[in-house]
Amino acid sequence: MQQLPDVIRQIPLNNYVWFSAALFCIGIIGVLTRRNAIIIFMSIELMLNAVNLLLAAFSSYKADPAGQVFVFFIMAVAAAEVAVGLAIIVMIYRNIQSIDVGILNKLKW
Amino acid sequence: MNAIIALSLSGIASLFLGFSTNRKNLLITTLLFVLVALGLNLADWNHEYFWFNNMLKTDNLSINFSSVILLSTALVVAISRSFGDDEEHTHPAEYYAIMLFAAAGALMMVTYENMIMLFVGLEILSVSMYILTGSDKRNLRSNEAALKYFLMGAFATGILLFGVALVYGATGSFNIHGIGEVVSRTKKGMELFEGGVILYAGIILIFIGLLFKVSAAPFHFWTPDVYEGAPTIFTTFMSTVVKTAGVAAMYRLLSISFPAVYGLWGNPLVWITCLTLIVGNITAVYQQSFKRMLAYSSISHAGYLLITILAKTPNTNGSILFYSLAYSIATISAFAVLMIVSENKPKDGKPDESFEALNGLSVNNPFLAFVLTVSMLSLAGIPLTAGFFGKFFIFTDAFSNVSPLFKNILVVAILMSAVGVYYYFKPIIAVYMKKGEIAEIQLPLIYKITLIITTALTIILGIAPDLVKNMF
Amino acid sequence: MSLITLIPLFPLLGFLINGIGFRKVPNSLVGIIGSAAALASFACALSLFLNFSGTPQLVHVFDWITVGKLNIAMSFQIDQLSLLMLLIITGVGSLIHIYSIGYMHHDEGFGKFFAFLNLFLFFMLLLVMGSNYVVMFIGWEGVGLCSYLLIGFWNKNVNYGAAARKAFIMNRIGDLGFLLGIFLIIAHFGSVEYADVFGKVAEGGYLSGDKTLVAITLLLFVGAMGKSAQIPLYTWLPDAMAGPTPVSALIHAATMVTAGIYMIIRSNIMYSLAPETLEVVAWVGLATAVFAASIGLFQNDIKKVLAYSTVSQLGYMFMGLGVMAYSSSFFHVMTHAFFKALLFLGAGSVIHAMSDEQDIRSMGGLRKKLPITFITFLIATIAISGIPPFAGFFSKDEILAHVYEHNKLMWAFGLLGSIMTSFYMFRLLFLTFFGEFRGTKEQEHHLHESPLTMTAPLMVLAVLSAIAGFFNLPHIFGGHAGLAEFMAPLFAHSHVETAEVSESTEIMLMVISVVAALASAIVAYVIYVSKKAVPAADGAESGLQKVIYNKYYIDELYDAVFVKPISALSTFFHDVIDFLGIDLIVESIGKLVKTLSAEARLLQNGTTGFYLFAMVLSIVALLAWGLQGFFF
Repeated sequence: MQQLPDVIRQIPLNNYVWFSAALFCIGIIGVLTRRNAIIIFMSIELMLNAVNLLLAAFSSYKADPAGQVFVFFIMAVAAAEVAVGLAIIVMIYRNIQSIDVGILNKLKW
Repeated sequence: MNAIIALSLSGIASLFLGFSTNRKNLLITTLLFVLVALGLNLADWNHEYFWFNNMLKTDNLSINFSSVILLSTALVVAISRSFGDDEEHTHPAEYYAIMLFAAAGALMMVTYENMIMLFVGLEILSVSMYILTGSDKRNLRSNEAALKYFLMGAFATGILLFGVALVYGATGSFNIHGIGEVVSRTKKGMELFEGGVILYAGIILIFIGLLFKVSAAPFHFWTPDVYEGAPTIFTTFMSTVVKTAGVAAMYRLLSISFPAVYGLWGNPLVWITCLTLIVGNITAVYQQSFKRMLAYSSISHAGYLLITILAKTPNTNGSILFYSLAYSIATISAFAVLMIVSENKPKDGKPDESFEALNGLSVNNPFLAFVLTVSMLSLAGIPLTAGFFGKFFIFTDAFSNVSPLFKNILVVAILMSAVGVYYYFKPIIAVYMKKGEIAEIQLPLIYKITLIITTALTIILGIAPDLVKNMF
Repeated sequence: MSLITLIPLFPLLGFLINGIGFRKVPNSLVGIIGSAAALASFACALSLFLNFSGTPQLVHVFDWITVGKLNIAMSFQIDQLSLLMLLIITGVGSLIHIYSIGYMHHDEGFGKFFAFLNLFLFFMLLLVMGSNYVVMFIGWEGVGLCSYLLIGFWNKNVNYGAAARKAFIMNRIGDLGFLLGIFLIIAHFGSVEYADVFGKVAEGGYLSGDKTLVAITLLLFVGAMGKSAQIPLYTWLPDAMAGPTPVSALIHAATMVTAGIYMIIRSNIMYSLAPETLEVVAWVGLATAVFAASIGLFQNDIKKVLAYSTVSQLGYMFMGLGVMAYSSSFFHVMTHAFFKALLFLGAGSVIHAMSDEQDIRSMGGLRKKLPITFITFLIATIAISGIPPFAGFFSKDEILAHVYEHNKLMWAFGLLGSIMTSFYMFRLLFLTFFGEFRGTKEQEHHLHESPLTMTAPLMVLAVLSAIAGFFNLPHIFGGHAGLAEFMAPLFAHSHVETAEVSESTEIMLMVISVVAALASAIVAYVIYVSKKAVPAADGAESGLQKVIYNKYYIDELYDAVFVKPISALSTFFHDVIDFLGIDLIVESIGKLVKTLSAEARLLQNGTTGFYLFAMVLSIVALLAWGLQGFFF
């Protein structure tokens, strides 16, 4: 059976980089264009996934496990972030029955 | 790094203390925890240790930064009597625990040797701050601040991570010294190295992620809104601990990993510094709310701190530390007075945080007025206060750098300090010259002691800066 | 903590207690605290003096400023000169503190007065104890401040406030010179420590008349002219008499005004190498001595006479310094401190008895009512007039003898001054204490001898004025010039050309000056006691007398030459440059900033989307900038 890193290496590294960059940009565009807090948040998760993918690819190409370890850290921390983020969104929904970031602009100037 | 372990454990311990109903004990215990951590932190003095398989490294610089952070934490804890008075905050133990965790994260940010630890520390600090910002659950402003902080913080983390991944791809290492070696090696044959683009894009993205945390323009937009919306005690924490940790983390990374590519981040940083100084100071002028003014002031101080990171002189260590310390203690005094006065004088059921709330403070509360005056003078950089020497050291560093760009920064910085005097004197004028009616405010003992400590330190450092400066 | 640091600490503590506790500390305690602080310092100084080994002691308190290679330390140096000054300052200071308890106890600012007095002592001690020029300068400025505060102590009177301001401004002119001198010292020697600077001068192989040294010494002398009231900066001292009398005694007679002499003696190594400066010092001193004495001849205010006398005596001291008779000058500083303090305190006692009347034309015949004051005043008058065996005789004649060796013409003028001194002092004495009482009935009824707290210091000072001359008894009287011998190590490195005066000349000079002094005392007696002449009322003088009575119109001259043009210029600046130029520019900058701020804050529009968008744009811009090298 082929080792997983070998499988990954069948695709040139550049492709991974461009793909991750594209995914990351999609995430950014999502953050910029959507007004629903949850969807913005999902877009941010998409950005993180782009990072994870990139790290895994680099890790395989360098035959260095540190990159994959980092992926686990990112996942764990992102999970914690999700917990807190959702709690904040729920808290806001309780107060104003909406999670539209556009109407949350009382703090300004 | 026993302080980090101690803080984490004591954070958990203070969660259990929540069973006790006596809030006063809670405060004292937490304060004790922080001081124990400070002691443990100082115990490593003059030793260079690697911890946890080269994940963290303590040296005198990081211990100094940790001490500033822990001192600020201790002072903030000491003035934190206010939460827990109403039904919303029935579990103050949790907030103390989160503050302890946040301090642990901040310590990781100043001692990291591996990018993983930078990331983890940053996230521990940030996630804790998201919670604390939104801790006033029924208050829409607090909610809004928490959401803004959370969304933008998470976004900035994403940018930072993408940068870390790219740098990893180019150098094959997460170790900051390892990265530094590769960067300085590839610097020589930049065109030949195919990963060059990836490396430099990565560096810029990491750099941006950290600039966000220290609220440098144009990544500062979250700062005023979040500072204004968060409960004042946590704003204090944010503007001292988070700022110090962010600046220290950035300084550590830029000075260890990326000094070889100074041109890459140095030139943009010049403009970012100038922009930060201008935006922070100019916008502060118009503010009517004292709290929001302090937020802009915090942006402008980030600008001054960036100057010395840029200057890269042998004195930079001492200058950053002195400035962080001077800034932190003065800010804590200012917020402490703001907190106590604004709570004393609610407007529409909420604390009144505008300048008018301070009118006539000196009549019945000369002590608070004096504390506020000293802290404002220090922030404005008037001689005989710590802030003056902080600015003086930073300007000296900038001046000793031969690059002509620094003359431009200096001109901007000095002009902006002059603008700063305008808005820092507003509260002083309100306190002494405006007419207002504020009854005598009874200060709890610990509050009084804290204010005396911060004020005395500000004045002592302003008269004999060498006492501390030589320690660094 | 060593005894040395305790000395300035006591008055500082006294100041803090009385100053912070003003109106809270009871009046009975205020005087005790203030006087105890001064006495404690005196005790420390005395014990230092008794245990003094002959080698200077340095006490480093803390490093104050460290810039590059220049290190300015807060440190004290105890040597022969500072010890003697310490004894004079704390000793006379203590007496005057005690005197003030009696003199000021009716005043509502009693606590404030003692606080200021203690603060003055603190700064004066810093001045003489500092081991470098900067600490001296701190003390120098500090005593200037206290002098200002105390001259204007009764600040409800506008004239007194103006006098305080005048003193301050005149001193500032001198201070500028002093400061420039310090800068030059720093630039040239790279240090302000006495030990370093003088060491470099002694070993540097400087030729006599070195340009730098002349410049430094001249600048320092400008400082001394301000503080020690020499021509042309002397006019503040007579006006300073607006302050309470103990202040005049302590600050404007015994201690502060001698700071300039202290400084020159301290820097004697440099002065000895700058003969040009010494010549200037000597002539300025002489001119001041004669000029001020001549003004003193016709003054009618008891304190004004004493003030001009002080200026004149200071002139003598500078004249002595100018001929390198450093220890003689210092001897005169010491004796002058005793008898001039005594004269002022005596005058204070008279004023106290006369219900604040200061015009001698309204006095007369007081010797029966104020016997102690009269006797002590008499002793002081004899002392200042240079009649043996009292203190002034020895010190003044020593200076005159040195001057005689240096330049005969100078000596002749000096003698003239001393004749005038004797005349105006006896005139003052006779008009005040002899003849008939010329005041109002009310005043006469109220006449009384002062309380013990006031007369005790008078008596102590009278004893000192009488015997102080023997501290430095010259060889011809079988003494061994103790003071000069004690101070000799101070001048070990300076090239003092001591032309020994032969004994016969010395005796001849003494006889001449004693005869002259006695003669003018007799003239005064004839005029004011036998003929019972009373000076004419204001405005009734004529001719030269009128010119002198009006102090040669120097104040008016300064007013016309300096003050009026400057205030005209300042009006011009205020009305034209300031209003049109600066205000317009500054205010429009301020408005511009405000407008900018009002616009800039709108960027902060509160929507998260916009914030993120701005961030992304900046990221793109930074990436484009950073990576342009790869793509273009």
